[in-house]
Amino acid sequence: MNRWQYALTRILQMIPTLLVIMVLVFAMVRLLPGDPAVAILGDRVTDQAVARVHKELGLDKPLPVQFWYFLERVARGDLGTSINLKVPVTQLIADRMPVTLFLTLYAGVLAALLSVPAAVLSALKRGTWVDNLIRAIFQVGLSLPVFYLSLQLLGFFGARLHWFPVGGIGPTAASDLYYLFLPALSLGFYLAAILMRNLRSSILEVLDAEYVDFARAKGIRPRLVLFKHILRNALISTVTLFGLSVGQLMGGAVITETVFAIPGVGRLMVDAIFGRDYAVVQGLTLAFAVVIMVVFLLTDLAYSTLDPRTKVA
Amino acid sequence: MKRLTTLALALLATLVLGTTFAQQRGGQLVFGRYADSLFLDPVLNDANLDIWVLTNLYDPLLQPTADGKDVAPDLATAWSFSSDGLTLTLTLRDGIKFADGSPITAQDAKWSLDRARNPDNGIWNFTLAAIDSIDASGNKVIIHLKHPDPTIVPALSMFNAAIMPEKLFEAAKGSTDAEKAKAFAEHPIGSGPFVLSEWKRGSYMVITRNPYYWEKGTDGKALPYLDSIRFEIVPDDATRILKLQSRELDAAEFIPLSRVGELQKDPNINMELFPSTQVNSVLMNNRPTLPNGTPNPLSSLEVRQALNYATNKQALIQVVNFGIGTPMQSFMSTTTPYYVATRSYAYDLEKAKSLLAQAGFPNGFTVSALATAGSQNDLALLTALQSMWGEVGIKLKIEQLDAATKTERYRNNDFQMRTAGWTNDINDPSEITSYFAVYENIQSLHTGFKSAEIDKLFAESQQELDKTKRAEEYKQIQKIFMDAAPIVFLYETPYPVAIRKTVTGLNQIPLGNYIFKTAYKTTN
Repeated sequence: MNRWQYALTRILQMIPTLLVIMVLVFAMVRLLPGDPAVAILGDRVTDQAVARVHKELGLDKPLPVQFWYFLERVARGDLGTSINLKVPVTQLIADRMPVTLFLTLYAGVLAALLSVPAAVLSALKRGTWVDNLIRAIFQVGLSLPVFYLSLQLLGFFGARLHWFPVGGIGPTAASDLYYLFLPALSLGFYLAAILMRNLRSSILEVLDAEYVDFARAKGIRPRLVLFKHILRNALISTVTLFGLSVGQLMGGAVITETVFAIPGVGRLMVDAIFGRDYAVVQGLTLAFAVVIMVVFLLTDLAYSTLDPRTKVA
Repeated sequence: MKRLTTLALALLATLVLGTTFAQQRGGQLVFGRYADSLFLDPVLNDANLDIWVLTNLYDPLLQPTADGKDVAPDLATAWSFSSDGLTLTLTLRDGIKFADGSPITAQDAKWSLDRARNPDNGIWNFTLAAIDSIDASGNKVIIHLKHPDPTIVPALSMFNAAIMPEKLFEAAKGSTDAEKAKAFAEHPIGSGPFVLSEWKRGSYMVITRNPYYWEKGTDGKALPYLDSIRFEIVPDDATRILKLQSRELDAAEFIPLSRVGELQKDPNINMELFPSTQVNSVLMNNRPTLPNGTPNPLSSLEVRQALNYATNKQALIQVVNFGIGTPMQSFMSTTTPYYVATRSYAYDLEKAKSLLAQAGFPNGFTVSALATAGSQNDLALLTALQSMWGEVGIKLKIEQLDAATKTERYRNNDFQMRTAGWTNDINDPSEITSYFAVYENIQSLHTGFKSAEIDKLFAESQQELDKTKRAEEYKQIQKIFMDAAPIVFLYETPYPVAIRKTVTGLNQIPLGNYIFKTAYKTTN
């Protein structure tokens, strides 16, 4: 089985998983106490008005019927209409998902850019003051809550130095590299700390391996040894960790999006849950599930690229 | 040299003239909001988030006055009742147009009000329930009432009575009113000072100057002074304040009370505390038994009064609100028409203890209160009350629930106490009274409080056109309610809006509506 066949099989396997997720989220959001009709009409509303809205939204029908309508619509690519905002859920996701994905990706890239060189340096200079300093800095990253770091960065680099705007997103995708730098940094720093520790210990393990001594004995240039032999092997577990952490990054985006006033899906999800906006919660959960499963797939493919011994099948 | 001097003089002259101009026209005001509007339809909306913006896009026939106590002309210049009080005739202003240039007719007014009073449309139709039918004749709108209604004039100044363009609305896509409303709300056309021009949900909204707006400024030209307003959505309080201080925002709403003192000291910012109709209280379940069947100590009048006496409102204002707010002396705010300072329940621990003993609880009892999870104010308030009431033996347990769950609990009357805030939507005491004190509506905010006397007085006041008699009725209603103490009366708080000193004329009336039409920016 080659890589393309493997990818296709995995994509097909996503469908039953998505089905289970749909059942779970459909049930969970309805198990929550609280009524979407009351959420949109306000808490002073009379029972008749609530009943009327239930009828309009189809919430008066039995649950299996509601679920069937939901499945039917999803099969047609229609994720329903937001109860609170009265626009199609697909439109909301199309508007806001790119921002969150950009932020998450940006955070991931920054995390990688920070952690890889730091891990290499720290491992190669193990035991020296360089190693200790690097580890101390990243330890701070692990201990600081994301919102605290975010506010500090905003306050200092944004409000005081005016080097960066105080939150918000830019008018174009290119300008977002500037606008989203601080939020991506605060979101990615925590991940960088985790990745750095993991990579550092992987490298240390690999450094002791026989094939590294052999490569050096053969006279291969140190840089080549570093990249082709040491890093390539050490990165295997770190890449897996990175892939698994994407879900965490997307979750962390919620806080970052709130503090930095970024109109992404993290905030949308939180608002939808508090507002009991069933359609948005369901649709968004599906979207998240798809994104994360694709990331897992890419991680597995990357893993097999790094380590030719593993076969994708 | 001569050219340079002339140039310098010209520059100097422009600068001097520029700073002495009363209103400077043009420019964009950037306003920071804590959350985005949901749905911009005057009739079908429900949240303050929509209402406070809608009033800049749409005009009703009348508008509330800036002090919140009365009404003034808007699209209608004059109004008068027939001698039996059953017919109200309003005269439309000359030359008024919608934002697309089409004329506003009495037929548009009739259609808009008929839509607003339709019981199938939204939750605000009760304000216009007394209307039997409406006629449009020339420039006159003739409203026939089922019975005399003293609230109809203020009701016509409310946001849901906004005049919309019938032809444009009916031409919108969709077969039901709700569908057309959704389509129309994407590009709404009203007659207010501004028109919606851009809306990226959750991020920002831009409203631009309506060139056809009828009202004139002090310079004789049409309002508004500004070219546009940009609403930036910044949910985090700390971020919103940072953006204001770094000049990315010209104004920011809902400043946490803990930051007001700091912003008052900022030389670049006017920390406004606009008088509001916002009242805060702790509602109590007055019913004889609780849902689980056990007897409810709060059903006793002495217990409820004791709790009021055991509450040190001044201390609460200092601790919870950082000194901002005034203790309530009625269930309605001082800015509500017919408000009377009725009773204050001054802090008196001894009186509280003796009342509790009288009621059969000399050693107090345990009671639980619902708070909104994530609300700093709720937690601070209930924690302070916990220690205050502890001194008379009342053990208060705090239950933090998210807003929707809390709402579900109290709508099912499954609570002992809960925190509650209220703002009026209309310049008339009937709304707040029907919710707080009248059983029929929603059981007096689900407290279960019922007074036959208040119900009777209220029913009479709803048809009493004589202002003096109506004031007397409300005076009595307030006395009965305050004596019965169905709730713990706390304080009235203003709207905290921080505005940069480069902005003048931005106002918020007690109902909460933002008035942007008189706002302008100065360059220094």
